[in-house]
Amino acid sequence: MDIATLSIILLVVLFGLLLLGLWVGFALLAVGIVAMELATGAPTGSILATKIWGSLNVWDLTALPMFIWMGEILFRSRLSSDLFTGLSPFTRRLPGGLLHVNILGCALFAAVSGSSAATTATVGRMSLPELKSRGYDMRMAIGTLAGSGTFGFLIPPSIILIVYGAATEQSIARLFLAGLLPGLMLAAMFAGYVMLWSLMHPDRVPAPEPRPTLRQRARALKLLLPTVLLIVAVIGSIYAGLASPTEAAVVGVAGALAISGLTGGLDRDSLIGALRGAAMTTCMIAFILAGASFLTVAMGFTGIPRTLASWIGEQGYSQFALLSALLVFFIVLGFFLDGISIVVLTTSVILPMVTAAGIDPIWFGIFLVLVVEMSQITPPVGFNLFVLQSITGRGIFEIALMALPFFLILVLATAVLSVFPEIALWLPGTMMSR
Amino acid sequence: MRKALDTVYGAALAGACLAMVTIATLVLIQVLGRVIDQGLEALGMEMLGMSIPSVAEFGGFLFVAAAFLALPATLRAAGHVRVTLILRGFGPLGNRVLAAFVLAIAVGLAGYATWYVILDVLDAYRSGSVSYGRIVVPLWIPKMVMAAGLVIFTVALVDELVTTLRGDDPAFRAAERARDMQEGPR
Repeated sequence: MDIATLSIILLVVLFGLLLLGLWVGFALLAVGIVAMELATGAPTGSILATKIWGSLNVWDLTALPMFIWMGEILFRSRLSSDLFTGLSPFTRRLPGGLLHVNILGCALFAAVSGSSAATTATVGRMSLPELKSRGYDMRMAIGTLAGSGTFGFLIPPSIILIVYGAATEQSIARLFLAGLLPGLMLAAMFAGYVMLWSLMHPDRVPAPEPRPTLRQRARALKLLLPTVLLIVAVIGSIYAGLASPTEAAVVGVAGALAISGLTGGLDRDSLIGALRGAAMTTCMIAFILAGASFLTVAMGFTGIPRTLASWIGEQGYSQFALLSALLVFFIVLGFFLDGISIVVLTTSVILPMVTAAGIDPIWFGIFLVLVVEMSQITPPVGFNLFVLQSITGRGIFEIALMALPFFLILVLATAVLSVFPEIALWLPGTMMSR
Repeated sequence: MRKALDTVYGAALAGACLAMVTIATLVLIQVLGRVIDQGLEALGMEMLGMSIPSVAEFGGFLFVAAAFLALPATLRAAGHVRVTLILRGFGPLGNRVLAAFVLAIAVGLAGYATWYVILDVLDAYRSGSVSYGRIVVPLWIPKMVMAAGLVIFTVALVDELVTTLRGDDPAFRAAERARDMQEGPR
């Protein structure tokens, strides 16, 4: 069978099964099995068994359940309910005022939770009613939330970067550091847009509230500081080479338990709930990872990624042309697939092509995450849109329209990152241990 | 029967949680040992040299255990990702037919994987292959945990398929609906 026919069959099987609602992990396994059976005489079943074991029996992956667990604990702590009170004194006087609470709150919550839907839902439930009662423009309030809710993927500890690192055998510590500056840059771009917008539409912004007193600021700091310090300690110890990602994550779990124990909100039910929730999220990701790693091997047997890579090489496209084409392709995929699925599919088929074009795999990981963020706010399937639909009761496409400026900022950020790759690569390059 | 099955799924999830707690405990002891040693070194005292042998290897085994033992509970709680876009275009009957269809495929795939993983465990047992670390572990033991998780997962999928074919709502659909009410459909 020639490679073109085989590729078409595999694409039809994959997207057919996905659209019918087969679980992503199973769909990846199925395509892998079909590819092996059609293209090779290799023993499919025993390769499947060895690959599943080999892809998950990996020390680096233990960081995954630990970071998820840390997030689950903090998610159940009082942090969620204190976020608005804690942040509002600091953003009141900025142009755009409390709209910045959405951006900062999501950035902070993203650092602990790593799940984009949970971030959007938690911050949104808190901030949207407050913003409404203060007379803020709801279009802007919902838009900032939809956009900022996607931070979870980029700001470390990012679950999706662990998945990318495990699937491509890149250092997770370096990926985390590579994501930090682009994440902060994105937050600054969002905040900048909110400021510009409010200066241009003074009629749609409520009058600024009085300057907060010193005591109000101190009270607010007391609510947020422990969590902020924990995050800085976790990321800082990875950067300084003091701890591996897993070790930092375990210290994070211990710190999260201490914080929620001291501030209240830690009882038997929430302890067990956090542990069970973390186990299930870990399991969901591990299942997709196992399916993807088998698919990667199966694809290797078919020779499709090699052919694609050499074809791209012969065409002599510039890196920019290749990245722009991939950008469009991923945005289309993002219309109906979730982030982790996009990442694992990419690593199975597209990564050889990308490295053949001379693109740094660490940088590409950050690029991929930015694209995945976009997929969260594109209809008809965008997880953040669904979350906001249920909080606000507005239609998917209406919310997508409110999020459109932030989608465009994401595209702009991707372009900036392509022109200045150092934004991602500088920090990991200065890491103390290699 | 229902009660017995739910107990098995619950016990498997408890096993997964236990594996996670064990990872955390081992790593925490490792980190504390290092911190204490650095403190002692700074004071010019003799280091304890406390470390857990083969922690990286055990971490890998425990991660596999956590991932596979949680499979059935995650299925029933609708934790596994899937695209439910076209379900919205179908009525109750179409929904049930599609649920039965994907469950049947999943049972086939899970059964296939389980079969070959069991063969792999037997192979590891017969060949006597062991881990490479300082503490030598016969590899069939951690691989067996993976096989056990897969067996229970296959049972859970058959369980859901039978429920669907009887005309009842499978647990994962009920959980998806409950989540749709709370967070919006996915």
